[in-house]
Amino acid sequence: MSEITVKESKPWKSYQKILFRIAFIFFIAISIPNSVEWYKFVVNIDWTNLHYRDLYDIARFGSGLNIFGNSIFGSSLSGYANWVITLIAATIVGLIWTFIDSRRKNQPKEYNLLYYWLRVVVRYRAGIGIIGFGFTKLLPLQLPYPSLGILNTDFGDLTAQKIYWLQIGIVPWYEVFAGIVEVTAGALLFFRKTTLLGSVLLFGALADIVYVNFAYDGGVHVYSSYFVLLSGFLIIQYVPQLYQLLILEKRTLPNYYYPSLSKPWQKYSRIGLKTAVIGIFLVLFFYLQLVNFLYDPYKQPATKGVTALRGSYNVTEFKVNGKEIAYSPLDSVRWSEATFENWTTLTYKVNRAVPLDLSNGGGDPQRDINRTFELAGVGGGRRVFHYFADTTEHTLYLQDKYKEMADRRNVTAGAGGDGGAEQQRPKEKVDPKKTGGIYSDDWISRQALAHIGDENKMIDDRAASTRRDRDFASVKGYDKRNRMLLNYETADGRHVILKGLNEEQDSIYVVLDRVDRQYALSKSTLNAGKYE
Amino acid sequence: MSQLQTVEVGAKEIRLGLQNRVEVPAIKLGSRPWKGYEKILFRFVFIYFVIQAVPLDWKYYRDLLSLDWSPLSVVDFFYLARYTPRFFSEVPVFADWFAVGLIAAVGTFIWSVLDRSRREYDDLYYVLRVIVRYRLALALLAYGFIKFYPIQAPFPSISDLNTNYGDLTAWKIFSLSLGIVPGYQSFLGLVEIVAALLLLNRKTASIGAFIILPLTGNVFVSNLAYEGGEYVYSFLIITFALFLFAYDVKRIARLTSFERPTSPNTYRPSFKLPWQKYGRLVAKSLFLILFVFVLGLTARIGYKNAGLVYPSAPGLAGVEGIYNVELYRVNQQDIPPSETDPVRWRDVVFEKWNTISIRRNTKAQVLAAGTTELGKGEYEYSETAGREFYSYEFDTVNHVLTFKAHNTSQELPPLNYTQPDKNTITLSNGSTEILLRKIDKKYLLNEAAKSGRRRGLKL
Repeated sequence: MSEITVKESKPWKSYQKILFRIAFIFFIAISIPNSVEWYKFVVNIDWTNLHYRDLYDIARFGSGLNIFGNSIFGSSLSGYANWVITLIAATIVGLIWTFIDSRRKNQPKEYNLLYYWLRVVVRYRAGIGIIGFGFTKLLPLQLPYPSLGILNTDFGDLTAQKIYWLQIGIVPWYEVFAGIVEVTAGALLFFRKTTLLGSVLLFGALADIVYVNFAYDGGVHVYSSYFVLLSGFLIIQYVPQLYQLLILEKRTLPNYYYPSLSKPWQKYSRIGLKTAVIGIFLVLFFYLQLVNFLYDPYKQPATKGVTALRGSYNVTEFKVNGKEIAYSPLDSVRWSEATFENWTTLTYKVNRAVPLDLSNGGGDPQRDINRTFELAGVGGGRRVFHYFADTTEHTLYLQDKYKEMADRRNVTAGAGGDGGAEQQRPKEKVDPKKTGGIYSDDWISRQALAHIGDENKMIDDRAASTRRDRDFASVKGYDKRNRMLLNYETADGRHVILKGLNEEQDSIYVVLDRVDRQYALSKSTLNAGKYE
Repeated sequence: MSQLQTVEVGAKEIRLGLQNRVEVPAIKLGSRPWKGYEKILFRFVFIYFVIQAVPLDWKYYRDLLSLDWSPLSVVDFFYLARYTPRFFSEVPVFADWFAVGLIAAVGTFIWSVLDRSRREYDDLYYVLRVIVRYRLALALLAYGFIKFYPIQAPFPSISDLNTNYGDLTAWKIFSLSLGIVPGYQSFLGLVEIVAALLLLNRKTASIGAFIILPLTGNVFVSNLAYEGGEYVYSFLIITFALFLFAYDVKRIARLTSFERPTSPNTYRPSFKLPWQKYGRLVAKSLFLILFVFVLGLTARIGYKNAGLVYPSAPGLAGVEGIYNVELYRVNQQDIPPSETDPVRWRDVVFEKWNTISIRRNTKAQVLAAGTTELGKGEYEYSETAGREFYSYEFDTVNHVLTFKAHNTSQELPPLNYTQPDKNTITLSNGSTEILLRKIDKKYLLNEAAKSGRRRGLKL
């Protein structure tokens, strides 16, 4: 395909050569994964039983030089310090390279070949990276449609980050469109002839996302800037030519250089590698993401909730230790505005300050209790509990979805990939009301456990994966949470009586009546998960 | 064989390139005769875009002449810039395009009969591009400046902050979500302004048009997704940009994608006669002065004075905030707080301006908006079901509030008010007594912005 190689190649100017050497080191460094965890992870992938997140994690890694840490004079420069350090190192190495070259007898006149291969590396790094992100939008998972608990929360009781995420989540088809743009941009980078179009698309879309992340405190500004940087680098080559053609209005030659890959082994390895990349990151990835969308939407709990218990409920009656509390919007104990989601979550509102989860509610948790999008960035006194349901005994084993020490997310992403850091374990405070009873280790009896079943197996078989198995087999980390134990009585779910112990182990009696809540916001026409 | 040829051509190109560098006067290569279908297509395109872009409607000039020029406002600019030919209704619909196309088809026929001997339309094509460039620039400047000075999507009102997320329509959520980040809004406006400025220059016009394509493309898709009402207008803007970009797209693709030697545009408009030279200069300067500087200035003033989207009349002094309804008594009978009672108020918001909104257990009527409107004051009570909105007038001598209901059929009678202390308001008439106590509400939206999300927050 590359017949039109320009045979005579002009020698480069010396400043161009110096800049290139620095750029070469820099861009190679930021295109290579820098964390040991990533390599360990990739080696251990079970290719016979994949999860979409396996490919996502391959595509999303931290890069750049991090052996000197990720801060300059104690400042992380909003997360960009890694870039600066890498650039400094690249400059030093680039200058040494220049020095060595100057001592050589026949110095290279140009770096056309090396430039070509550098562009190939950057093109594929950027392409694969953005596709990893794009598919979680193309099948609208990254920004889910708001749960009932969020729909019933006031606009001002959400963080800015949450407001932005939800804003996309309410229009799933728009999210699909955004995903198509990202995946298309990535796919275009796999082909030389469409590289400019792909990089311009990527540059525009991701520059917007960088700004969005700063404006809404989205936390992914460094990783999105990464694509702006890579696509910007890819565009540079075309700028002088376009300037000459459009502004100077002069006849313009495309003086791009291609190595001739004409030997059979070259041809076949080129075609083989390209096919493998496209097969894995476009075809297989789409399939795995689709499975995730249909059966195991990663930001929503995947297990279906008790069928009768669904919808928004008024709290008609509320007793603590036998004493009735009348409804008041200012009461700090009494519940109001409860919801049972399609999945295993109960929420209610109470007018009491509680510590909040201000994360993005993302990552790759497999256990439903750790999927926190429905509470992350949500205030207004809304409490969110995960439950295991023993439908034989009509008992709900509830655990607060908020926990003091959040789990690490995106472990393989490392620095520069918003991997987050291990947090310190909080000091244990002994609350006499929260020891023994439902806070003992065997709070769910063997029999109840048998009734509840194995959470790992509760999603559709097609969504099973080694990744999920491994997560469920692993030892739980710090997992101290509030608990409740409630029996439910209901005929058809319209009128529900909950009786049992609340998080302070006081006995409560709650009567819920379903409300047919009509929203001004249009319903989602593209629903993730399987809850029927 | 073909390879050899290509290389040869390449060599020639290099020589040509060199010649160009020594400023050989450009040959007017563009004056080749046009093909028959090209001429017909051009006539159609010409008439079509002239009608779409140039106000030929007498009503437009009536509006223009009836403007109150003394305090020229960004509102006037905004509406004048949003002109589109409308045949069927007040809002633009795609049927309008069809009508314009029909006129253009008839016009093309007549023109083709009358103008058979014509060789080319190089000059007229240029004229059309100028018209579309400036029309497009105007559209972007009008929307750009009301974003650059964040007027279009203002920060949510207290009522909005205290509305359930699900009680807002998608369009309103879109607008409010943009409203919480004025800096981002300014940035979007700046990009629109920059794209518009690039259009004002012949050589950078294609770059400007290219920037507009994804930008307005996104606006168009957003309008569809968020059930907004400006999808026709935003799509019209896209067609303008596509028309302009089409002029250079072949060249750019040939150079960057097919990687062949590429000739530049060779058409140069000639402005030789003095009136042409000065006319051009004056027209261009006038456009810049009016639609960049004056428009920008009025937008700035409009932003500073506020009141372009929310009502401008002030409310009762010092009462701004959200209030819990502590007491609600009808005919000496207390009605306790309830999640179901359809009459009792749950909470009340007093805005800074003369609006109160009430949350009841019943939902308000959803009034459609979907488009950006300035100076009408309808924004706050449109596209929301969570609260009932009332404008009020106050008489500080007799302590009476009188109300006008907006998105609800529940009228409010005039109410006497007292302010026993600065956090309490009582409202009453013969039968009803209401006691409102201000809530010291801390919004997560603001608190998280203050403390950042990395540290924990208890709220």
